[in-house]
Amino acid sequence: MPLWFIRGLRRGVVTTRYPARPDASATALPTPPAFRPGKLTRELADRMISVCPGPALSRADGNLIFDAGACTACGRCALAAPDAVTPTGEFELATTDRAALVKMIPILGEER
Amino acid sequence: MTAVEPRATGRTRDQLVSSLAGLGSLHAERRGVVTVRIPAEALEPATHAAAGNPGVRLADMFAEGSQEASPQAAGATADSDATVLRLVWAHEADEPGYIITETEIEDEHYPPLSDIAPAAFVEECEIYEQFGIRPAGGKPLNRVMLPPHNGIELPTLGHRPGEPPAEVHAPHVVGGQAFEFPFGPVRQVGVESLYYGLVTSGEEVVDLYLFTWHKHRGVEWRLRGKTMHEAIRLAERTEGLSAVATGWAFAAAAEAAAGVAPPAAAARTRAVALELERLYNHAAATAALCQATGLSVGQSAAEIALERLLRVNAATFGHRYLFGVIEPGGVSRAPDAEALRRELPGAYGELLRATDALLRTNSFVDRLEACGVLTAEQASRLGLVGPVARATGLATDARRAPVAAGGPYTEIPVNIVTAQSGDVFARFQVMLGEAAESVRLVMEFLGGGTAAACNLVPPRASTGLGWAESPRGEVLAWVALDEDGRVTRARLRPGSVRNWRGFDDACRSQNVFTDIPIIEASFWLTAAGMAR
Repeated sequence: MPLWFIRGLRRGVVTTRYPARPDASATALPTPPAFRPGKLTRELADRMISVCPGPALSRADGNLIFDAGACTACGRCALAAPDAVTPTGEFELATTDRAALVKMIPILGEER
Repeated sequence: MTAVEPRATGRTRDQLVSSLAGLGSLHAERRGVVTVRIPAEALEPATHAAAGNPGVRLADMFAEGSQEASPQAAGATADSDATVLRLVWAHEADEPGYIITETEIEDEHYPPLSDIAPAAFVEECEIYEQFGIRPAGGKPLNRVMLPPHNGIELPTLGHRPGEPPAEVHAPHVVGGQAFEFPFGPVRQVGVESLYYGLVTSGEEVVDLYLFTWHKHRGVEWRLRGKTMHEAIRLAERTEGLSAVATGWAFAAAAEAAAGVAPPAAAARTRAVALELERLYNHAAATAALCQATGLSVGQSAAEIALERLLRVNAATFGHRYLFGVIEPGGVSRAPDAEALRRELPGAYGELLRATDALLRTNSFVDRLEACGVLTAEQASRLGLVGPVARATGLATDARRAPVAAGGPYTEIPVNIVTAQSGDVFARFQVMLGEAAESVRLVMEFLGGGTAAACNLVPPRASTGLGWAESPRGEVLAWVALDEDGRVTRARLRPGSVRNWRGFDDACRSQNVFTDIPIIEASFWLTAAGMAR
């Protein structure tokens, strides 16, 4: 057991303030999408809804409704409509208000 | 009926196939998988013929309704009466491969197959829940998937059972000095929902049963009607810690159905991801063993190694848990070979430093030795897989099967690590040996050439079986596709499904309460894989 005591002392504290520094690979990690309202047509919205493997995307009242809480950042919407979607690069999604994770993006030419 | 004792000498695979075909008819043979149709009246002798062979293991059993309720018609029941029962046998002796028997069951009963092959019991329970057919004789069947509070409202894959499955909740006063100690489903931080029914006389574990249905998500039900490209993201989330292995098995099933194979470089890419998955899981199991034995500095040391390995995954494939790598027909991403060659030795060295120190710590090793013992006979009878089976001396490994769901392990064979004592220490030693072997394999596969490449998987009405060796053992996937390439039935059998069967046996083997977390860490299973 002294081995582990000394080992622990030698290694010191490894937990740090979060984040101590950005992870070098973080930019390559999948993140939820951001939608460009100026490029979002109804056709593209429907295409993205059809490829989303979960319930993260839907359409109502002339808006694309995006639920970041149901998104697994699989990237299929970005592949289906690369002009209308970019990755957010955002990991920090925790919130105490579930509704804050649901976004409404206006669809071009739709009445609201 | 009693469980079959394997004969002293086994039949070769061809002899077994001829014997089964003599009871029914040979239906198809492709890619190391032989399918034999067995009439219902011959199912019992056919099961005897297969289960009586040493080196033959019941790998899975599942049902398929001939006309199942559509996902859109949630809550509806199937229209047709016929249910096809499939048994998947793994032949591991002379010529590794799989034999599937398929039998049409016309009424609500079939022979009690778990009396012949005990490994079939969990599947008998699951088939009753999902399809309403049960073994003849009225043996009690446990609740496996469907939560009691949802009862019959939850959608099933076929007919609902006439009577709900038994609630196996033991009385809290069991009798004599023994009583039931309920533990879970909410347990300590970060551990999945799982309920232990611990029957104890105070300290010794007299009996233990599990409720795993808290995490049931109806994955197999949700997969129906999807194309393979849509389905694979759900399939790999069946058991997130085996995302690569589950995805690979699922993709390989689709490829087998379509009669295509991934490009060689893509298959090697899959193998790189699979070995990285094994590495981080074995590091996580090491950390869990330290936590279970109260060695907090050791736990931190193993978790530092785990974190470094997860960062290697992120740098190599763009995802810490390797999601999204596997696609039907190939892979979506190529590994960053330079980053992998640069980062992996350091991360593995971190793990090695921790485990070397652990092996020199008597108080740690003492807790592992003679704890949670399983014998090779138990492992074989229950169809156990992965490090749990290999720690009893069985050289069970899906990477040895022909095609090996792609072929890279034929190109660069894996050295299978086994141990003999069947205890927690043996499982730990197997994991350490496998971690070293995984590092070697990753480097060899990189040397062979990797790429992000996919072959077209043309839509075709067909069926296929796929497999891969996850960190916790063999994963099997079977799919039936329609002419548009949409899933009509998908069966996913992660390694956890098999190995939870051995967990209660291991806990009963002269152990006390505080041994159970150690045994659980050494099995390193998921409730999600079981409850899928």
